[in-house]
Amino acid sequence: MHGRTAVAGVGESRYYRRGAADETEFQLACIAIRNAVEDAGLKLSDVDGIVSFMDRDRNHPARLGAALGTGKLNFTGQAWGGGGNLGMSTLMIADGALTAGYAECVVIFRALAQGQFGRFGRAPAVARAAGEQAYLMPFGVAAPVVRNALMVRRYMHEHGIGQEALAEIALAAYAHAQHNPRAVRYGHPLTREDYHASRWIAEPFHLFDCCQENDGAAAIVMTTAERARDLAKPPVYLRAAAAGMERWGGVPAFNEPSFPNGRYWHIGEKLWERAGAGPADVDVAQFYENFSGTTLMAISDIGFAPADGIEDFVSGGNIQWPDGDLPINTSGGNLAEAYIHGFQAVNEGVRQVRGDSTCQVPDVELSLVVSGPGTPPGSAALFSREP
Amino acid sequence: MDRYLPEDWILPALDDGNRDFFTSGRLALQRCVECGTVQHPPEDVCRSCQSQRLEAAEAEGNGRIYSFSIVHHPLGPKLAGSVPYNVALIQLDDHPHVRIVGNVCDPDEGPLEIGQRVRAVWTTVPDPHSDEPLRLPQWVRGEPAGPQAE
Ligand SMILES: [Zn+2]
Repeated sequence: MHGRTAVAGVGESRYYRRGAADETEFQLACIAIRNAVEDAGLKLSDVDGIVSFMDRDRNHPARLGAALGTGKLNFTGQAWGGGGNLGMSTLMIADGALTAGYAECVVIFRALAQGQFGRFGRAPAVARAAGEQAYLMPFGVAAPVVRNALMVRRYMHEHGIGQEALAEIALAAYAHAQHNPRAVRYGHPLTREDYHASRWIAEPFHLFDCCQENDGAAAIVMTTAERARDLAKPPVYLRAAAAGMERWGGVPAFNEPSFPNGRYWHIGEKLWERAGAGPADVDVAQFYENFSGTTLMAISDIGFAPADGIEDFVSGGNIQWPDGDLPINTSGGNLAEAYIHGFQAVNEGVRQVRGDSTCQVPDVELSLVVSGPGTPPGSAALFSREP
Repeated sequence: MDRYLPEDWILPALDDGNRDFFTSGRLALQRCVECGTVQHPPEDVCRSCQSQRLEAAEAEGNGRIYSFSIVHHPLGPKLAGSVPYNVALIQLDDHPHVRIVGNVCDPDEGPLEIGQRVRAVWTTVPDPHSDEPLRLPQWVRGEPAGPQAE
């Protein structure tokens, strides 16, 4: 923490619409990892740690290590629970392994081929739903979009938030994606009229409030700050990170006491305390948008604006590059670049510090990446140009 | 009352913790014998004091719409003929910290709004794996009633 480790390289596969990839999910993972290692100026044989997230990740480290010809593996780890919301926890795991000396060169990745393995936007083809899902799926809460719709509808009700606030998240993502040839929605601009005219998926979410379903992979390489300074690209330091949830934030089926608010109060407190900085110091931010409305919750809860003022905060171009005070999702985000469970946002957060973004904010000192607040726990990471 | 979603739509998988909720025709919650906390969904331990001595508690079945969504996109082929359908989160009058997911199945009562009063009614669905049918709570708008209607 506090800049003792750094991101030395970032890489990705090509991002596709779901089902459009020629590669398997495992091949996509290999491509992203190879590209990240090459970007750092390292060799695959230098890699001695592999970290990912998502309980059901199918690309096991032993298989990956063998296929990629990594060096001896000294460390493997996985962030537990949380879906896309726990993506930044992987950086905490790697940071811990590197600072403890358990590993020297850790790759972190997420690969997702919804064409190959089933879509998050569809109900699973099951006759029975068990556990928490028994209380949800039989009543039609059969995909994340409905779950998040219930959360966001209540949030909008409690805080007087209108549909335009949701539109702003989608419009920012699409505006930024038009500068990013990697973005799946590159060449597909979105107007406010298009947004409002698009079909409802689950109210209050229109089509453009929902993340895409994609095939692709994103990866980074982390190493110690000392080693990163000798590599091909300028080091991007991990200034601070935080993860977790409110007390009882994990009570299932909408019964957590903090419902419907995001669960970022304590993640924000921890992050800013560890970073010795605050929201006002952040130059650019990437927010996981599984859905536009949950992004509003994350922006507010991590400290940028009170919930009652979040619509003002995101309006008037304030979250759009190049003129907004806080440009967000500057590669197009999950809505318009690609949905790699939010991990592609790490690559963009790193590029902003290096000066490599297609919507580059000038002189970035602090670059924030936030995952959540859908399924707890959630997580956040803050990158810096100086350790 | 008929099931709001199609007869062949996903059913709950029963376990010891949820069997009452899905078969008894009562709004079955869980109470901790040690500290009295009522919790939902049920858990193997009390979330307040971690006791494993848990007993059945029953809610009256009256509440208010806490949140809702109208789902327009069929999430699976079996729902293709059912959209748009509603999903509501119901806050119970007698256990206001408890929220229950369900469907409001009284289309003649007009659009759903947060805060509207609802009460539980029950739909009986044959269980393909058992002789005992499932009984799922559904909701209709209106003032609190005494005994729960079929
Ligand atoms: Zn107890």
